Amino acid sequence: MRWLGIVIGAAFLLYPWLVTDDFYARTGADVLLAAIGASAWNILGGYAGQISVGHAMFFGIGAYLPLLAYSHMGLPPVAGVPLAIVISLGFAIVVGLPTFRLHGHYFSMATIAVAELVRIVIGNWDFVGAATGLMGPAVSRTWLDLSFRSPIPYYYLFLAVLAGLLLLTWHLQRSRMGYYWRAIRAGERPARSLGVRVARYKLYALLLSAAFTSLAGSLYSLMVGFIDPESGFGILRSVEMIIIAALGGAGTLFGPLLGAVLLIPLQTVTNSLFGGGGSGLTYIIYGGIIVVLARFEPGGLLDLWRRASQWWSRRRETVTVRHAA
Amino acid sequence: MLLSAREVSRSFGSFVALANANLDVEEGEIVGLIGPNGAGKSTFFNCVAGDIPPSAGRIVFSGTDVTRASAATHARLGIGRTFQVPATFEEMSILDNVMVGAFLRHHQRGDARAAALDVIEFTGLKALTEAPAKSLGTPGRKRLEIARVLATEPKLLLLDEALAGLTPVEIQEAIALVRRIHARGVTIVIVEHIMEVILTLAERVLVFNQGATIASGRPRDVVNDPAVIEAYLGRRHARDRGAHAP
Repeated sequence: MRWLGIVIGAAFLLYPWLVTDDFYARTGADVLLAAIGASAWNILGGYAGQISVGHAMFFGIGAYLPLLAYSHMGLPPVAGVPLAIVISLGFAIVVGLPTFRLHGHYFSMATIAVAELVRIVIGNWDFVGAATGLMGPAVSRTWLDLSFRSPIPYYYLFLAVLAGLLLLTWHLQRSRMGYYWRAIRAGERPARSLGVRVARYKLYALLLSAAFTSLAGSLYSLMVGFIDPESGFGILRSVEMIIIAALGGAGTLFGPLLGAVLLIPLQTVTNSLFGGGGSGLTYIIYGGIIVVLARFEPGGLLDLWRRASQWWSRRRETVTVRHAA
Repeated sequence: MLLSAREVSRSFGSFVALANANLDVEEGEIVGLIGPNGAGKSTFFNCVAGDIPPSAGRIVFSGTDVTRASAATHARLGIGRTFQVPATFEEMSILDNVMVGAFLRHHQRGDARAAALDVIEFTGLKALTEAPAKSLGTPGRKRLEIARVLATEPKLLLLDEALAGLTPVEIQEAIALVRRIHARGVTIVIVEHIMEVILTLAERVLVFNQGATIASGRPRDVVNDPAVIEAYLGRRHARDRGAHAP
């Protein structure tokens, strides 16, 4: 198991040098970016069990602020990143306090409503480019613009951010905070009876989740150099994070990464095969995945893998016992 | 006085579930709450546990007014409770379930784990430490709930039908466990339908009927109280029993 981890880690580190075409390196960067977004969602939706379908609002804030900093003040886009995180945290508090009083589907629906509201406001607000959106620097003025021709620098930037996020998540899931999140997901009433301040711990999860989702949005617009209301705040953004996390395994450390590794290349293929019509196909694929997961594998692929390996080791044990007898 | 509940009432809409219930518990006691279905035991229990606020009355625990305090605050102050229908964290292992409780007093993972393992051993769940909670049957779940709340190191433990649905052998084991918990210095309030349990465990019982407390005292005396017999069996029985009494 340990050397499997080392091999996978090495594969991620060396991947851009193993592929010859920029297209594959770009897809690799897309995978990592999606993994960051889904891992960020996973803190609130997976570990703490609060299924937000409105995370696009944090992604969009993260994506817009760098390009706003550039287009209005001529600053390097990266200057907008910290401000985006601060605004996302503010939004998280304002949205979280009332919506956390809702449970289950009602919470999810409330988050959709807020995110859609934000999308519509952004689409009609000239200061942020309204429906046409915003552009980043066409040519890099200094290295601070983080505008590279090759996808490889983005790949490593994203890999570093993802590694940091997963390390933090790993630490949290083993700590009091992680245990309290899982207890809240399993049952708020018993969690309370054990002294868990439910509202506070949900808010901690939301703040962390919002901050990293915002960062994912910033990384997106730094790489792509363009943002419009649909690609920043569209509901497909939120759904993508959920599907990716749930496919691999929500509430597990590596589930979102696994989901991204499987889903993003698939999406890239359908988009290049069908062109503009590909996004319609994306919806169909997402819908199919939701149905299959909800019906057969709510724990995602990592859970399937865990059960399969348990079954296998039990089988081996019985075989050994039979041989011994 | 460890716990003092005075004139506690609770209504749901126009329905009065509990009217002016009183309960004083001294440190080190085992007090039983009994009464027919719908008598208000669970409502009273949930008021004392901080799960629902009383409509009127005052509850003081260890000198602190906890009438309107949250369930989490109750746990912090040292009031632990189990649930009538076990509410274990199904997907989590037994160790992780108990660690959630242990994290209340031990903020570091290592300390919480050590404390949880102690409690697991004490409650006889050691062989199942790594098993998921959902693999347990009802007796196991009830035991796990007790282990989980013990890990919060309560001064007062509220057991809500912790022994219901067990076989006679399991009941004997559970009674032994409650005795061991009591021997550790934990004060216990127990809601129970099974008379055998109340008669063997409780030093004092409080009888509820139609939202009010109708009797209290030593278990043997209370079960012979005409008002109690009437509440359980109806008026005619009370008269018959009264006629046969010496």
